[in-house]
Amino acid sequence: MDRAGVFATSFGRDQALIRTRQQWIAFALFAVLMVALPYVVGPRLVAISTAMMISAVVVIGLQINTGYAGQVNLGQAAFMGVGAYAAAVCATKFGLPFWLSIPLGGCAAAVFGFIFGLSAVRIKGFYLALTTIAAQMLFHFMILNVPSSWFGGSNGLSLEPARIFGVALDTDRSIYFLCLVVTAIMTFGAYGIVRSRHGRAFVAVRDDDVASGMMGVNVVRTKATAFLIGAFYAGIGGGLWAYYVRFVAVDQFTLFHSIWFIAMIIVGGMGSVTGALIGVFIITAVRESFVTLGPSLVQSFPTLGGDVVFALMNVFLGGIIAAFLIFEPRGLMHRWTILKRSYRLWPFPY
Amino acid sequence: MKVFNRHNIAGAIAALGILSTATAASAQTTYNIASMADFTGPYADVMKDLIGARRPAIEWWNAEVGSKLGIKLNSKDYDHRYDAAQVASLWPGIKAELNPIVVLGVGGPDVAALQGRLPADKVPMIMSTAGYGFAWKPDPWIFNPRPTYSHEAAAFFEWYRGKRGGTGPLKVAVISSEASPAYVDQHKGIEKYAKDNPDKVEVVEIVFTEVQPTDLTTQINRVLRKGAEVISIQTNTAAVVATKRAMQAVGKKVPILMSSHNGVLDSGRAVGDVKQMEGDFEVYAMAVPTEEKTPSRAFFDMLTAKYNMKAQWTVTAVQGLAQTLVALRAIEAAAAKVGADKITGESIRDAMLANDIKSDRIFSVLSDLDFTNEAPFPVKGLKAGIGTIKDGKYAAAAQDAPVPVLNKW
Repeated sequence: MDRAGVFATSFGRDQALIRTRQQWIAFALFAVLMVALPYVVGPRLVAISTAMMISAVVVIGLQINTGYAGQVNLGQAAFMGVGAYAAAVCATKFGLPFWLSIPLGGCAAAVFGFIFGLSAVRIKGFYLALTTIAAQMLFHFMILNVPSSWFGGSNGLSLEPARIFGVALDTDRSIYFLCLVVTAIMTFGAYGIVRSRHGRAFVAVRDDDVASGMMGVNVVRTKATAFLIGAFYAGIGGGLWAYYVRFVAVDQFTLFHSIWFIAMIIVGGMGSVTGALIGVFIITAVRESFVTLGPSLVQSFPTLGGDVVFALMNVFLGGIIAAFLIFEPRGLMHRWTILKRSYRLWPFPY
Repeated sequence: MKVFNRHNIAGAIAALGILSTATAASAQTTYNIASMADFTGPYADVMKDLIGARRPAIEWWNAEVGSKLGIKLNSKDYDHRYDAAQVASLWPGIKAELNPIVVLGVGGPDVAALQGRLPADKVPMIMSTAGYGFAWKPDPWIFNPRPTYSHEAAAFFEWYRGKRGGTGPLKVAVISSEASPAYVDQHKGIEKYAKDNPDKVEVVEIVFTEVQPTDLTTQINRVLRKGAEVISIQTNTAAVVATKRAMQAVGKKVPILMSSHNGVLDSGRAVGDVKQMEGDFEVYAMAVPTEEKTPSRAFFDMLTAKYNMKAQWTVTAVQGLAQTLVALRAIEAAAAKVGADKITGESIRDAMLANDIKSDRIFSVLSDLDFTNEAPFPVKGLKAGIGTIKDGKYAAAAQDAPVPVLNKW
């Protein structure tokens, strides 16, 4: 929704993601901030930002799949794991460069996700959730039980740093920029997808799959496509993770991680790419703040005892997420939309 | 004129003392240790003793050893939530903020997230947990004072077979799970050992269960019919409880072998009564924390009396003490080699690889340690402690069971 008096006078302008000069200025400032960030903050914040961007790619995929298309998915961490393993195999066994390994990781995850997406054709709700949990289990057992020469089995896979023009991306700053570029591409891609006919089909199927089928939307293809795209995003995030940590093991992609990803889209707001980004930021920021605050509190007040302080941190973290769910179940993006609407309409009530 | 009277001399001596102390203090070099622990993750409940044992040991070292060497060590705790992603995001900040010369680590996430980073950052990490076959690689920057869980189990099997007598192999059943690569690694190592030593151990079956099994009656009945003399469970207490209940249901009893993280006391509490663990065993290449007056117990008591040790004398406390003492002795060795003011992470790693750490130097908390470049843990010469419940009380069945040499799996 644009401010009063702004009209799209052409189809191109109506389609544009950034529509006003103010939005361009805000975007340019944000872009400058993101580029300058590693030079103005310490390594800890750079590392947190990198982790946020990797999570953001995965969570945007989940947002497309669950928030837009309404397909419950508790296996996003498994799809991320497939991407991470595929990228690691491409890099270590076939010697492919990172710019090929990461997209191939995304493709491998997309195929894996597509298979589970087919089950969404026949089932939904809790049953679909169970199927995606099965994806999580299947990934785990597959990695551990296929010959260890394929994926390393319980040993995991170690990677060399990504290289571009002979330069190793092995510093916090260089890996930050790799993640920044990939996240930017994936984010703009997501905005494009959700505003396309595919995105509108996702929303239609989410809101009423029977009615959308009656209107001519191919429900089967739409649901499977949602899984394919969501898993592709997870796979790209997995590939970035593989190059970030340079070691991939099956226990880095658990059901617990999938649940955190779900929490991020709930807190940010379902059905919004920006909401996914906000959810990642809020959950990660709160978690990292508590992790950082805990040791400092213990050091400042040793009589409190580490176990008490850290236990309280965990309670606070859980409490904040619970509070979001109770007071704003539609996520922060919904609250932001209300605020924006009020500001634009003020002083008129409607 | 009497220039030097008694008071003047005393004053001069006192001034000299203060001056020399001040000089020593100013000459003291301060280094940092990063202390990783899981305060808010799945193992938060057992961290109290581990973290509680580290700090008093460092304070003791500062007072008794560091002050003479001109070194002061500071440590800072970090909550890694037992999550590799958390460790990966924490580490750059730790490196920048603390610039540690050594890291005290716990468990797989630290290894997973930092094994690619530490060689480049030139900081060694010393673990409290046992090693894993998948981390058995040369040129280590991550050190395990304990060998792998499979090594420790093999030490028990050889000890128990000797105690049993006879010439046939010891028949072992393993309760494991595919839920974690660590669990898979444990039973793979035992399988490899049995395959290489068919005269010593025969694995009758590896039973795969879910992570928290509730009923194992059918499986336990089956392995008992196959003649299992020991049931090895190095996964968790839930598996021990389910196995115990299953044996009670079928009316049979063979000893269960556990590890440091699911030992007889923890599992006994989960079962409901420690006395039900009578005749069962736990094994780890560390001292067994019984009430016996051992050198490690005496050291622990001294820390309690003088350095405000809050931890209880438990296996987790022994783990915390063990890794800290190894780090402290390695720092000493590095100081002797490069000088107290020139210690780096790399010099500590070099010192660990170049020098043995004798058991008496670490108060018998661990046996003699001889790290080499071929593995992150000493591959030979280790001794294991075996704990049990005897006459309803926690006791050491053996303090120095030899750990056999295993081939890689």
